[in-house]
Amino acid sequence: MTSAQEITPPMLARTLHEFEDCCDLVHRVMPGHGIDLLYFGNLISGDRLNRDLLSLIETSDQEQLDRFFRQSQFVRMTDSKELVLGILAGHAAFFYKGAAYTVDVAGDEGRSVTPSEVETTITGPHDAFTEQASVSLAMIRKRIKSPHLKVIRLSVGEVTKADVFVLYIKDIANMDYVNELKKRIADIEVDAVLDTNMLIQLIDDNAYALFPQMLTSERPDAIASKLVAGRVVGMMDGSPTAFSIPASFVEFFSSSDDYYMRWLIGSSTRILRFIALFITVIFTALYVSVTTYHYEMIPQNLILTLAESRSRVPFPPVYEALIMELTIELLREAGARLPSKIGQTIGIVGGIVIGQAAVQAGLTSNILIIAVASSTIASFVIPNYTMSASIRLIRFGLILLAGLWGNMGLAMGLAAVIIHLCGMTSFGSSYVTPLAPNQPAEWKDVFIRAPFSKLKYRPTQQRTKNRLRSQMKR
Amino acid sequence: MNVNGNGIITEKLSSFHLSVLVFMTQFGVVIFALPQMLSKTFGTNGWVMLPAYGIMVILNLLLVGAVYRLGNGRSIFAILEQAIPRVLLMPLYLFLVAVWAMLGCLVAKQYVLIFQMIAFPTTNPMLFKLVMDMLLIWLMLKGLYNISKAATLFFWFSVWMILLVFFFYGEFKFSRLTPFILKGGEGGLRDYVGIFAAFLGYELSILTFQYTDAKTKFLRSTIYGSLLTTVFYTYICFVAFGFFSFQQLNKMLYPILDLMAFIRFPFIERLENLFYGFFLFTVLLTVVMYLWSAKEACQRIVPKIKEGVLAPAIVLTAYVMAFFPETLSEVQAWLQVFSELECIIAMGLPMLLLLVLGLTRKKASGT
Amino acid sequence: MMKASAKLLPALVLAVVMTGCGDQRVLEKLGFSQTSSYDIADHDLTEFAVSIPRAEPQAQTKREVLSAVAPSGKEARIKLARQTNLLLVSGQLRNTLFSVAIARNGMEKLLDTLVRDPSVSPRLKISIVNGNAKKLLEKEYKQHPVTGKYIDGLLEKEAIGRTIPLTTLYSFTRDLYDDGIDPVAPVLKDEGDHIKIDGIGLFRDDRYMTKIPPSEGLVFAFLRGSFKQGEVSVHLTEEKNSAKSAIMFSSILSRRSVKVRRDASGTPSIHYHIKMKGAVLEYTGNASLAEDSEREQIERQVAKELTRRGEAIIKHMQQNRVDSLGMGIAVRNRMSYAAWKKLNWPEVYPEVKATCSFNVLINNIGKVE
Repeated sequence: MTSAQEITPPMLARTLHEFEDCCDLVHRVMPGHGIDLLYFGNLISGDRLNRDLLSLIETSDQEQLDRFFRQSQFVRMTDSKELVLGILAGHAAFFYKGAAYTVDVAGDEGRSVTPSEVETTITGPHDAFTEQASVSLAMIRKRIKSPHLKVIRLSVGEVTKADVFVLYIKDIANMDYVNELKKRIADIEVDAVLDTNMLIQLIDDNAYALFPQMLTSERPDAIASKLVAGRVVGMMDGSPTAFSIPASFVEFFSSSDDYYMRWLIGSSTRILRFIALFITVIFTALYVSVTTYHYEMIPQNLILTLAESRSRVPFPPVYEALIMELTIELLREAGARLPSKIGQTIGIVGGIVIGQAAVQAGLTSNILIIAVASSTIASFVIPNYTMSASIRLIRFGLILLAGLWGNMGLAMGLAAVIIHLCGMTSFGSSYVTPLAPNQPAEWKDVFIRAPFSKLKYRPTQQRTKNRLRSQMKR
Repeated sequence: MNVNGNGIITEKLSSFHLSVLVFMTQFGVVIFALPQMLSKTFGTNGWVMLPAYGIMVILNLLLVGAVYRLGNGRSIFAILEQAIPRVLLMPLYLFLVAVWAMLGCLVAKQYVLIFQMIAFPTTNPMLFKLVMDMLLIWLMLKGLYNISKAATLFFWFSVWMILLVFFFYGEFKFSRLTPFILKGGEGGLRDYVGIFAAFLGYELSILTFQYTDAKTKFLRSTIYGSLLTTVFYTYICFVAFGFFSFQQLNKMLYPILDLMAFIRFPFIERLENLFYGFFLFTVLLTVVMYLWSAKEACQRIVPKIKEGVLAPAIVLTAYVMAFFPETLSEVQAWLQVFSELECIIAMGLPMLLLLVLGLTRKKASGT
Repeated sequence: MMKASAKLLPALVLAVVMTGCGDQRVLEKLGFSQTSSYDIADHDLTEFAVSIPRAEPQAQTKREVLSAVAPSGKEARIKLARQTNLLLVSGQLRNTLFSVAIARNGMEKLLDTLVRDPSVSPRLKISIVNGNAKKLLEKEYKQHPVTGKYIDGLLEKEAIGRTIPLTTLYSFTRDLYDDGIDPVAPVLKDEGDHIKIDGIGLFRDDRYMTKIPPSEGLVFAFLRGSFKQGEVSVHLTEEKNSAKSAIMFSSILSRRSVKVRRDASGTPSIHYHIKMKGAVLEYTGNASLAEDSEREQIERQVAKELTRRGEAIIKHMQQNRVDSLGMGIAVRNRMSYAAWKKLNWPEVYPEVKATCSFNVLINNIGKVE
């Protein structure tokens, strides 16, 4: 006790000094009991503080108080740095008889659980993560009722000190990935990390790569399925998005819906998405290449229609295509930044007015409009927004190359994309699994969605020791 | 924070990857001219000679496999340098570098020149080759494991084209094949070797020793890869022989180009230049393997120079060399010479290694 | 990674700057000829004409026909290019017409430009015009605004019905260079306000020799190979009262088999046997097709009549020394290489004993007896 007494007054003083000029800090003194109380009024729930603590303290005598502070909700603090962090995290600090205790009385401020707006599904659960990691964590815990689900807390940002949680299922996840992820998060040296999407860019393998190397999702069911498959999940307080590692390119083309629909429908949808990928990447570029260089590829019945619609256009096909693609991108960006009610107007103005007028004014051929529109629509079929944005970007490169060298340019562009993909890794594992390394057995959960009875094994990319889904081996 | 490329776990080539790598290195632009080469050299039903070539390739691969087995999977440079002083090896290395780098750049130039003939009559072909070389350097620097990954992806992206051969069944006639086997051909030894050049590429597997382990099943995988090449070549040439008449084949320089031009879909036709574009994938792989091999050998001559400098240096030198043969026929003449040299390497190098291995073993058991 | 992209970017920019527009073939700036024609002009010159569709909506005509006289096809094209604002290209060429006169002089040299040019499709259709090819191409047919398309449609449709073989650049050159078969090509003729099929032109090597009348087209098809679809009309003479009647078969399914025999001296003889099945769409005779015996009688009669017609065609071809049926292939494939080389087929061919027989089966007589 004596040693504590020596420490405490300087600790209170130091803490108060640390929070100098913080007008939102509340310093309450209860002289009758010899207690000093420190907390941020906006961070804590006043209700909890009054009901659970203050009302009890006020009615108790000295002896009861001593016993009271020995309860487990009071964490005894010896380090003033930790104390400061505790107060910042929404704890109330009690200074009693020379010792310092903190109690978690953080308030549940934040929006309530709402349906996901980015990744909507038709069937299946509709809830999405919120900015509060505690709520999001609870959503995962509710889905995976297993003591094997481990949660590690880390913090990032030299200034912001955001909580980052690493989740994995023990005995399913490979600890190499867990440790590597922990290490990379701990090694981040940056002042502020404000969102998961920012975080993953700080820890990915190839910082200059075009494609996202970690799968992000705000759907708890999707993330739970990643965990069960043996992936390691990261979450961040303050961001409604979680991410899972390791990721592969094809993983971005599956959606939770595929598993909720019957397998034939789920499979068709998957195939549809790969067709969409093909259309998005190739279609406009092929139009440019064919109309600029390879006119002989156009069938007899189509050539006149094409030539007729092209004959009014004053620009070469590359410029025509680039202008239209640019317009569509402008519309998309404008639509994304505006409130949804105005967004609809943008759609009408863009789609009908500009599209129709551009053809009538002879600025573009109507076949190009079809090409551009269908490849844009196709790009939105890809469920992951980051991936679909990356792919849309590739399209511009391919259009340029096709305008430059026709099919040769197109082939070179595709080769460059493939080379780029092959060089990419996600936490050291190949980004293009299960194509390379070739795992044909896994294609049935990648290019189609086979019936559940056929999906017996977890993907090899996770390097789990529990390959068989139906059993758990320690 | 960055594990760029090699990741947490370094991986060895899997068996499938090695097969695909061998296949993609072998399969190349030669296929476009192969039916004509066969009909001129061997005469009617020249395609039946392709399996014979395939067997020769397998025999050669058995030699390579023997080196692998006896050398316990050590790199061939290690085997050589253990027995022969480095100074003596220098000329050999230089020879290897020169042949491999030249072969690589000639194959690329040939591809580009044919494309120029189809669609870009006045564009400078060296411009195409420049961009192609950029891709090659990029791919080369990613290392063999990633090259093999790229090979697998390129393989899946181009292998479906074989299905298009079904288009020709309507016009295919067995009676056009004629019952005569290898009649009316007038090829000499150089022509035989010229056709063998279509199979070259398998010999580079000799450099992949240290990227393999027991699971790779080196010999089996390389043989599978070369078998796949033989099957594809034979099938395509067989169809070409039944599609075109024999004397017609003799007159066509690139029968497969005509074959592809025959394909017609309701929404697109004359697919030869699109598919020829996709052939870039297999050509890239062939070339990158030759250049990569040249780089590996060159690394032994100048071990101090970094890979990132060496690779562009080799590609640049090869690029400059590629300016010399200007026309398609010149390129073909050069290719003929270099593939003859490469045939010698393919047979000679494993034999030399076996000799060295035999001697060192004897020495080891003698002492 | 970054290094590589940093190197790629300037290269790309460089490439963009350095590439001219020389090789661009922008669609609307092209005069893609869809039909071309070759006629003989005096002094060994060729008159070459192309028909180019005009794509501009404002244009008065739907097509433009250009012609020039020059010693070679490509040279003529250079002359043609001076007459138009469009870049003349041949990648969309669908039909090419040769006048009989020029075809008689040999086609190989004319075809060279088409076979050599990588932009010309091997599916290009080749046909012979009885008369002046350029005039046929130039002529405006009232019901058919674009003559080239009209010809193309006509050829395609007739080829499906098997009255004429579909002759493409590929099939023509293939048969031209094959030593056991001679090429054939459809013959067209201007008939006032429409174009008609005037038969099948038969070639000896690359020279046009003779033709088979269009009515015999299907019989020729029977002999040339197995096929599905097609219509044939056969005239019969009733045995009892020698009354004339006609029977028309449709949806024909025909199988051909070839038998080659060689007598002691080594001279081959060839027999074609054709099994034909078809539905009767028209019958003007008195017999009842529903009765088995009478139907079989008619089947035999039809077979006899077809055999007669078939053998007449064979005779006609042998007289003109054109091996359009590919008897050479059949003979060759049953010989050793040395024997075939010794045979000198073009000499032997007219003397070869060639026969045919038909087997007719009516599989469907329609809705009435």
